[in-house]
Amino acid sequence: MIHIVYMSRAVRPLSDQELQQMLDQCRRDNASRNVTGVLFYSHGNIAQLIEGDAAVLEPLFEKISRDGRHSNVVELVKKNIAARSFSDWSMAFHPLQSSGFDALEGFLLPDHLRQPPSTLTIADAMMVDLVRLAVFGPDAVATEPAEPAHA
Amino acid sequence: MREQRLQDILEHMPAGVATLQGAELRYGFVNDAMRAVIGQEAQEGRLVAEHPGIIPADLLDVMQQVYQSGRPFVAKAYRLVMSASESQPSELSYYDIALEPVREGGGPVSGLLLFAVDVTAQEQARQRAHELAIETRRLDTRLRVLTETVPQITFTLNAKGKVEYVSPQWYYFTGQPPTADLNAIWPLLIHPDDRLRILYQSDTARAAGTGWNYEYRLRRHDGQYRWLLSRALPELHAPDKPVFWHGALTEIHDQRELSEALRRGEAELRFLADSIPELIWTATAEGFIDYYNQFTGEYTGLTRDELGPTGWINLLEPSEQANAARRWVHSIATGEPYEGLFRMRRHDGVYRWHIIRARQLTDTRGPRWFGACTDVDDQHRLREVLQTQYDELARTNRDLDTFVYTASHDLKQPLLNLRGLFDELRRTASFKDPEEEEIQTMVDGALSQLDTTLQELAATVQDQRGLSAPAEALNLRSVAEEVLLGLRAQVQEAGATVELNFEEAPSLTYGRANLRSIMHNLLSNALKFADPERAPLVQVHSHLSSTGQPTLTVQDNGLGMALPDAPNSVFQPFNRQHPHIGGAGVGMYLVQRIITSRGGHLEVASTVGEGTTFTIHWFDA
Repeated sequence: MIHIVYMSRAVRPLSDQELQQMLDQCRRDNASRNVTGVLFYSHGNIAQLIEGDAAVLEPLFEKISRDGRHSNVVELVKKNIAARSFSDWSMAFHPLQSSGFDALEGFLLPDHLRQPPSTLTIADAMMVDLVRLAVFGPDAVATEPAEPAHA
Repeated sequence: MREQRLQDILEHMPAGVATLQGAELRYGFVNDAMRAVIGQEAQEGRLVAEHPGIIPADLLDVMQQVYQSGRPFVAKAYRLVMSASESQPSELSYYDIALEPVREGGGPVSGLLLFAVDVTAQEQARQRAHELAIETRRLDTRLRVLTETVPQITFTLNAKGKVEYVSPQWYYFTGQPPTADLNAIWPLLIHPDDRLRILYQSDTARAAGTGWNYEYRLRRHDGQYRWLLSRALPELHAPDKPVFWHGALTEIHDQRELSEALRRGEAELRFLADSIPELIWTATAEGFIDYYNQFTGEYTGLTRDELGPTGWINLLEPSEQANAARRWVHSIATGEPYEGLFRMRRHDGVYRWHIIRARQLTDTRGPRWFGACTDVDDQHRLREVLQTQYDELARTNRDLDTFVYTASHDLKQPLLNLRGLFDELRRTASFKDPEEEEIQTMVDGALSQLDTTLQELAATVQDQRGLSAPAEALNLRSVAEEVLLGLRAQVQEAGATVELNFEEAPSLTYGRANLRSIMHNLLSNALKFADPERAPLVQVHSHLSSTGQPTLTVQDNGLGMALPDAPNSVFQPFNRQHPHIGGAGVGMYLVQRIITSRGGHLEVASTVGEGTTFTIHWFDA
C-alpha cells in the first residue's frame, strides 16, 4: 500500500459543472479500483492525495500526470504506508453556486474539512495541511496560535 | 442571303454591335448583346440622343465628333453605370468601346459603327493587382524600416549558404565598410573558438533543411568579442526544398555574463552552505523543503529523498513533532519567522538540542524560506553543569559563613574563661619583676584584641547576609539614636558630643540592618580614633545632592589619616590605619561593601591631626 501526494495547476479554470462531473467520474473509478484519498481545488490550484495498491496507483498517477486538463504536476511524496487514512475518495472546492452541492456525495466545502486523520504520520499530516494551505490560502486554513516550542 | 448570315452572326456575337445612321444618329442594327448594355430603348429608328439608355452625355458628344471628323475613336475600359433595376443595385461595368465612321462607297460619312466589348472582369483584376502592388510596396517599406531599426541584425542566406541580405546593423556592429565581401569576412569575425562549431552547425542545418538556434561570439567594431544569439528559419517553396534562410542575430552578451555571474554566485553560495557545519535548508513558498546542505546528510545519515519535503519533522523528538508541525504551518500561512528549540535525532540515534530558525525571503521570484538548525546541545549541557557548580558554590559559601559565625561565637566562651582565669591569676599571684607587669598588660591587650576581632568577624558574617535585606523607608534619626544608645558607654567614656542633623533629608529607603551597620561603624570609628588632645565632636548630617540624591556625612575632629593615592585600598579587610588602637580592621571594609552593593559610593576626606569626613552617596545617579 502506498500513497502519493501531488500539486498541479489547471490549464484553465474549471466550472462548477466540470468539477461535479469530475467528482462523479473519479468517485466511480476510484471506488472500483479501491483508491481512496482527497482532492483540493481552488482557483486553478490542484492538490491530491491518493492511497491504494502500488500496482494500481503507479499507473494511475502516470495517467494523471499526462492529463491535459492540468500542468506543472509536482509529485511531493510517494511512500509505503501501513494503512489507509481515508475511507473513500472525496473532493473539496468552493462552488460558485453553492446550492445543490451540499447534498452531493463525496463533496466537501474547504471550510468544513476535518483535521488530517491521526493515522497519518505527523510529517504526512503536515504535508496535507501545507497543500491545503497552498490551494485554499491562509484564510481557509485556521492555524492555531503558535505555542512556545519548548513549552 | 449573305447579308442574312452576316446579320445572324452579328446578332449572336458576344460583343455588342450597333449601327447609328445619319447625322442625327438613329439606331440602326442593334444586336442582343448591345441591347443588353444600352437597354431596351435601343430600337431601330429611334434617335440616340432621345433614347440614350445608359450612354452618358460625353459619349454622345464623342459620337457627334466622330461623325463630323470621320476619325474613329477607341476607348479602353470605359466605365458605364448599369442602370439599377428593382432586383439589382446599379453596378459599374467596363467596356472597350470602338466608334467607327461608316462611309458608303467611299463617300462622306453616313453613319457610325459602335462596338462594345465587356472587359469588366479584366479591369477589376487589373485594379486589384494595382491595389496589391501598392499594398506590397507599403508592406515592403514597413518591413525595411522594421528590419533596419530593430536592434537585431537580420539576414537572409540562400541555399548555398551565401549571404543574400544583411541589415545595416551588421555594418554598424562589425564596423566593416559597405563594400566588404560578406561571405569572406563573416566567418573570420567569429571567435576562433566558436568558428568551427558554428560553420559546422549552420552547414548541418542547411543540409537538413531546418532552422537553427545557437550562440557565438562575433568581433565588434572595437575588437571586442560579444556573445550573439543566431536564430534562423528556412523559407520553404516546394516541400522540403528550402531556398532561403531568414534569421536574426541578437546581442546577448550582458545577459550571458549576468547569468554566468548568477550561476557562479549560486555555486559559491551552495559551496558555502555545504561547508558550514550546521543544518542549512531552503523551502518553497508552500513550505516544502527543496534543499538540504551536505551537513544535513552527514548529521541525519539520510539522503535528500529519504528526508523528503516534510521529513524533517520525523527527526524531532516524537513528543515535540506535533507542536513543531503546527508552528511551521502557522509560519507558512502568516509569513512569521519560525524559531524553536527542539531535540533532533543524529544518525546514531542520539538526540541533540537544536535551535531551528527560518525566515521568509520575499522578492520578485516569490517567497522562499531559508532555515538553519544550530546545534546548541553543548551550550545546553554546559549551562546545566554551570548551574550545578553555582548551586554548590553558593551552598559552600553559606556553610563558610555559618562556620565563621559559629566559630567566632564558640570561641567567645573560652576567651571569656581565659580572661576570667587571667584576672583570677593576677588577683591571687604576685609579680615582683616589673617586666612581668609589662607582660601582664600585653596579655591583657592581646585578650581584648582577640575579643574585638571575634566580635567583628561575627558582625561581618551577619552583615554580609544582611546585604540582600529588603529596602524600607527608614527614619534616619531613630536609627542613629538606636545606634548611639548601643555606643552610650563609649560616648560617655570619651566625653564626646554627637550632633545629629537630618532636617534636609529625614528619611531613606534602605536595608534596616545595613543602615544600622554603616552608622555603627562610622560612629564607633569616630569615637575610637578621637584625638586625646581635644574633646571629640562628631557631626552627622543628611543632605540632598544637586541631583536630588540623598547623602550622609559623618565628620569628626579625631586623629585623621594619611590617604593613599588609590582610595580603595583604605578599606581592605584587616587593613588598619591606626595599629595602636584596638580593632580588627574589617569595619570600613564592610561599610564600603554595603554601600557599593546597593549602588552607591563612599568618599573620604581627611587631614592628619584635624579629623576625617566620610560622605556616603547612597545612590549614584
